[in-house]
Amino acid sequence: MRRKHQYWKGFEELASESSFVEAQKNEFSEGLPLDEAFSGQMSFNSNRRDFLKFFGFSVAAVSLASCNKTPVKYAIPYLVKPENVTPGVPLYYASNLGVYNEGFPIIVKVREGRPIKLEGNDLSDLSGGGLCATGQASILSLYDTNRYKNPQIKSKDVADWNLFDSQITAKLGSIAASGGSIRIITRTNTSLVLKAAISKFIEKYPTAQTVVYDPISYSGMLIANEKSFGRKVIPMYKFDKAEVVVSFGADFLGTWISPVRFSKDYRKLRIPGNEVMSRHIQFESLLSLTGSNADSRVPMRESREGLYLISLYNKLAAKGGAGLIPSATSEELAGGAIARAAEDLWNAKGKSLVVSKSNDTDCQLIVNAINILLGNYGNTIDLDNNLNVSQYSETEFEKFVNDLSEGSVKGVLFVNTNPVYSYHSAKKITDALKKAELVISTANAPDETSGMAGFVAPDAHFLESWDVLEPQAGRFVFSQPTISPVFNTRQAFESLLTWSGNALKPSGDKSGAYEYVKSIAAANVTTNWDQALHDGFYSSGEKPASVPSMNALINDAVAVIESSTKTLPETDLILYQKVGPRDGSWANNPWVHELPDPITKVCYDNYLTISKTEAEKRKLEQGDLVKVSVGGNVIDSLPVLIQPGQARGTIGIALGYGRMVPGAGENDLKNLGKNAFPFVLLMNGTSTYIRTSEIRIEKIGSGYELAQTQSHHSIEGRDIIREATFEEYKKDPFVTNHHKHDLISLWDEYDYSTGHHWGMAIDLNACTGCGACVVSCSIENNVPVVGRDEVRMRREMHWIRIDRYYSFESDKGFLTKEKDIDALTKQNTKAGKPQVHYENVKVVHMPLMCQHCDHAPCETVCPVLATTHSSEGLNQMTYNRCIGTKYCGNNCPYKVRRFNWFRYNDNDQFDYHFNNDLGKMVINPDVTMRTRGVMEKCSFCIQNIQSAKLTAKRENRKLKDGDAKVACARTCPSGAIVFGDLNDPESELSKLYKNERSYHLLEELDTKPKVAYLTKIRNNKSTNTKPHHS
Amino acid sequence: MFEAPIRQPLILGDKKFADVSNEICSPIENKPTKAWWFGFTLSFVCLMALVITLFWTVWTGIGTWGINKSVMWGWDITNFVFWIGIGHAGTLISAILLLFRQKWRLSINRSAEAMTIFAVMCAAIFPLFHMGRVWVGPYWALPLPNAFGSLWVNFNSPLLWDVFAISTYFSVSLLFWYLGLIPDIATIRDRAKTKARKFWYGIFAMGWNGSARTWHRYEVVSLILAGISTPLVLSVHTIVSMDFATSVIPGWHTTIFPPYFVAGAIFSGFGMVLTLLVIARSTMKLENYITIGHLEAMTKIVMLTGSMVGLAYITEFFIAWYSGVEYEQYAFLNRATGPYWWAYATMMFCNLVAPQVFWFKWCRTTPWFIFFMSIIVNIGMWFERFVIIVTSLHRDYLPSSWVMYGPTWVEVGMFVGTMGLFFTFFFLFSKFLPVINMAEVKVILKSKE
Repeated sequence: MRRKHQYWKGFEELASESSFVEAQKNEFSEGLPLDEAFSGQMSFNSNRRDFLKFFGFSVAAVSLASCNKTPVKYAIPYLVKPENVTPGVPLYYASNLGVYNEGFPIIVKVREGRPIKLEGNDLSDLSGGGLCATGQASILSLYDTNRYKNPQIKSKDVADWNLFDSQITAKLGSIAASGGSIRIITRTNTSLVLKAAISKFIEKYPTAQTVVYDPISYSGMLIANEKSFGRKVIPMYKFDKAEVVVSFGADFLGTWISPVRFSKDYRKLRIPGNEVMSRHIQFESLLSLTGSNADSRVPMRESREGLYLISLYNKLAAKGGAGLIPSATSEELAGGAIARAAEDLWNAKGKSLVVSKSNDTDCQLIVNAINILLGNYGNTIDLDNNLNVSQYSETEFEKFVNDLSEGSVKGVLFVNTNPVYSYHSAKKITDALKKAELVISTANAPDETSGMAGFVAPDAHFLESWDVLEPQAGRFVFSQPTISPVFNTRQAFESLLTWSGNALKPSGDKSGAYEYVKSIAAANVTTNWDQALHDGFYSSGEKPASVPSMNALINDAVAVIESSTKTLPETDLILYQKVGPRDGSWANNPWVHELPDPITKVCYDNYLTISKTEAEKRKLEQGDLVKVSVGGNVIDSLPVLIQPGQARGTIGIALGYGRMVPGAGENDLKNLGKNAFPFVLLMNGTSTYIRTSEIRIEKIGSGYELAQTQSHHSIEGRDIIREATFEEYKKDPFVTNHHKHDLISLWDEYDYSTGHHWGMAIDLNACTGCGACVVSCSIENNVPVVGRDEVRMRREMHWIRIDRYYSFESDKGFLTKEKDIDALTKQNTKAGKPQVHYENVKVVHMPLMCQHCDHAPCETVCPVLATTHSSEGLNQMTYNRCIGTKYCGNNCPYKVRRFNWFRYNDNDQFDYHFNNDLGKMVINPDVTMRTRGVMEKCSFCIQNIQSAKLTAKRENRKLKDGDAKVACARTCPSGAIVFGDLNDPESELSKLYKNERSYHLLEELDTKPKVAYLTKIRNNKSTNTKPHHS
Repeated sequence: MFEAPIRQPLILGDKKFADVSNEICSPIENKPTKAWWFGFTLSFVCLMALVITLFWTVWTGIGTWGINKSVMWGWDITNFVFWIGIGHAGTLISAILLLFRQKWRLSINRSAEAMTIFAVMCAAIFPLFHMGRVWVGPYWALPLPNAFGSLWVNFNSPLLWDVFAISTYFSVSLLFWYLGLIPDIATIRDRAKTKARKFWYGIFAMGWNGSARTWHRYEVVSLILAGISTPLVLSVHTIVSMDFATSVIPGWHTTIFPPYFVAGAIFSGFGMVLTLLVIARSTMKLENYITIGHLEAMTKIVMLTGSMVGLAYITEFFIAWYSGVEYEQYAFLNRATGPYWWAYATMMFCNLVAPQVFWFKWCRTTPWFIFFMSIIVNIGMWFERFVIIVTSLHRDYLPSSWVMYGPTWVEVGMFVGTMGLFFTFFFLFSKFLPVINMAEVKVILKSKE
């Protein structure tokens, strides 16, 4: 209603002009510039009033916004809680480790549907509870952003499997119809399921055949066993029964056949408290992990191995009255090592073992003959319960490559094999593959071979898979998925079944794969499916090991060896596998590369190992870059590493590097190292890893810094590692531990009379130095990966490390002081003598983590009490409290504290798994992620102690010995690390603390560490214990 | 007034009271010279290096430095101890020499005290920014009352003692310096020709009126502060040395450290005082106030303390051998013959050998040579700290953890930056405040008036 105006605003109102009346209807007579404002055309030349408006709005908006809580990302509660899944409580599944060809039982720890940790299955003697470094690391490949997310046709994602399958079946059909042959290339296949699927596939496409391809060959041994006993198998070696082990280059604790099992067995006779301690003699060119553990290690030219074997045979035959081989040569090594080995072996007849790495059939034949002579078959060697590690035959694969080159093979299916990378002639196979009409790869992540394949049908990761495998005759391992497929992948056997028209269909709520695997298991293994799946393995009983007789005569083999070793080659080039990276299948896994090599302590690279003498001869120094060519194959640039212990005249290059994988991250894993597989030579039907001719090494540069975590290698005569011989130990078990320091402490003792008192014991005799604990700890405790440059800066973050020291043999006993070693080296150089002391080295490994000292030097110096002592004897870190003065790290005599120099998560400078959401799924939610600027260190896996205590409390019982587990001890294949409660007199730990060999590191500082070390005992005759310091 | 027959007067040039005021106030009351501008600009540029490197450190992480898993303290703590040491001469001159009634100190104590304050500021930067989390450092490191019960600071930690020692030292030094400045500031106020000048100097003069009462208070407070400062000369570097002495690291774990560090601090402090004063007296035309006699007195102290430090070096070696502890023995042998031998050799030469030239009168009385020697002393003392910190850490107990250490550009930049900070402040000081205590110098003037 309009009021009558007494006053008017202007003449317009007085006149009641229509435009004015119209404008009067709006609240604001001039209208608001909303359109302009929202279209962004208006310039905010705000006047005073606008400013107040904006200001008021902003203040109100900011205050409202700050009232709102930041939304929590990714934390979605269960709408319907799955049965058995309680957030915060882990589930454990028994499954199979897909790292080795053959199958390995593991336990998978799953948190809220995410597998976060693998352990060996301790119920099964196939693993004995241990797991190697590579196996530990393999969980990360599940969360690799680099994986195939969908099936691909010509490098293009196809989200729909049906479309993909229809194209493949059409192609397969046309090839089969035209009579073109199809080849299925698998790794050594022990999977019953895959075998069944392949046979179905061959039924459908009769022109299909399987060919086995492995990057590493054991065919020399297979053929030798076939010739000797008519059985083309790899026998089971029983290191737990072998009182004398003589190994010719076989790195059975590191990389040879089944190292985790062998480590566990080997350890059983290595503990001097028992009556028997085995004697281990290693002949080898390079210094292997196994060699570093030997009682007596003899450098040997591996190209001459056959001659030494013949010599050993003859020496044994002479003792046993068997017929000698009429041999022209009787090769002997320095100090009569062969004769001594023969002596030892003969004394332990039937309880000894001779093994050889050689892939030469003739050498393996002589090894067989030696073991027959010693009566080891049926005792330490078991041909009946054989291992199914390798069925690779080079001749068959060569034939396949030739057929492919000729064009007679039209379709090739690579089931998780990557020959394009590891085949000795990549060019030959890539050229040949171009001729095939259809190339399919089931690679999980892009590799060299899948790059050549028109069709990629990505296989599931082993943690997403159903399977039944037979790693050893009569022993089965069951695999069950522990996570829903992360990507749109399908197990290879399902793909094969689909393409052969037997596509699996789910029945009820069970997947087709489940029903199929169950039926295979029922038909071949056991009908007690639930139990088998629960245990993760099944044994149909061990057959008695028979004692075979040797069919073949070794005289032919001897003749071949002698003719091929007439001249001593100038240089042996030995291609070997490194612990961790192994055959290169895990190139995209940062954990295996951040793990320092157990011997060289180098991370990330491969390199040319060379003996000191050889390096001086060739005028090479550590860090020089060389161009290596063998025959026509060239590695353009490789750093040099001078390796103590390496035999004169030999050089070594590790296989498994130089992968050309399109990496997801711009990090150090990209183009890592150089590929040495082209140097592998096919000789007499087997791959040889020793090259002797046409080797040229040319220096092209210098100053390359290898990323080593340890750069000082001698112990400087310090009382850090105590060592004695078995003889000395038998006379006096305390041997090195008599001297005790008379210490006076300024500090009050802690009262541990109630509750727990945690401690640890490490048996230096059991520790092989394999590094499994390092990786296990990193996974358990979310230790970041820092990359090559940071390792060079000496900033690796590992909470546990393995110190490795050499001592150098000389006339004056073993030298451990840099000064003496260098003096001797100089003296030799001057005299033009070879550096023999560099070849005859003794090696010790010492795992080192926080010692949880009772009088911890770190605790007293922290200004803010960020590191404190718990009532249970733990030295604890409070990350929130830490301000990062690093004083604790300086004052730690063991140098086990690690500082967060950078932010290692969500940082593009450290583009590893902590930098992407998928990789972060492996993070252990029980362990805090550390921020930049705080100190961290071993916590004795306090999260596991706590959970064990809670479990015991819930079950209303006392904590039992072994309830609380630490990651390093849990994974150790040789059981070298024991964790437990010192307040429990019955605990294994308490007993080890009372062991005569037990001592503490740097006792004289009176830090009262809670880690005990047990003296290393070597079963050799020479005595070289050093007297304890004054 | 009694006139000692054999002594030269402390202030030369037959100055009158007015001359003192005129001459010393002249840089303050006139436009700065070109030399001043040049020096100031250069220092300021260096100061910017500090800003950049500190920013980069805090932004990216301590990983931008060269330190590693074994050598967790490098240039940072080396520089910290170096700067703290520099400061000591000021306190010694103003406190101990005051108590000993050493009148020659009067023309140099002002600048020496200023140097102390600036040096402590430079020093404080390092322990602050060497922290991984400087943003929470002061909160946790200060004994603030909190609700965490027993969770407080750790009084066992020498680093905490440092916090107290250095903050006390800084406060007392600042107070002492400022107290001495008050009469002079009042003089400038009274001479001021502009309002702003009168206002600002008036504020800082705190109402000084030159009455007998104010002078009395001044003298008393001076004496009290001198009394408080005197133990600080000994305590601060003693406590700094305890950062090392209380540890278990061979080469650090040494009971000789407190006296050895104090002697070293005075040595390096006088080195720096000489560096500054030799320049100041020539550029600011103060030869009559800071005479050759002053320089000579200081060189004698340099020689004495240098020899004391040298004795400490030798004693350490002897004790290492005598202790029979293999780790100690190795640590010291490694210092002298290991990979860092050059640092050790530099230290030995600069601190023990070089100052012996001051036995010769010419060396004690030739300003350019004294300047040269003062630089040598500064270098030597920097290396002493480097040797102690780095060579002890880089090879301690377990040879597996032996490493080498070298600084990155960030650490070098920080050191250059603190030099910049130090000289920037010093230039500002010389521009805005009297570098010589006018009031007290007038006391020792042998005026004919």
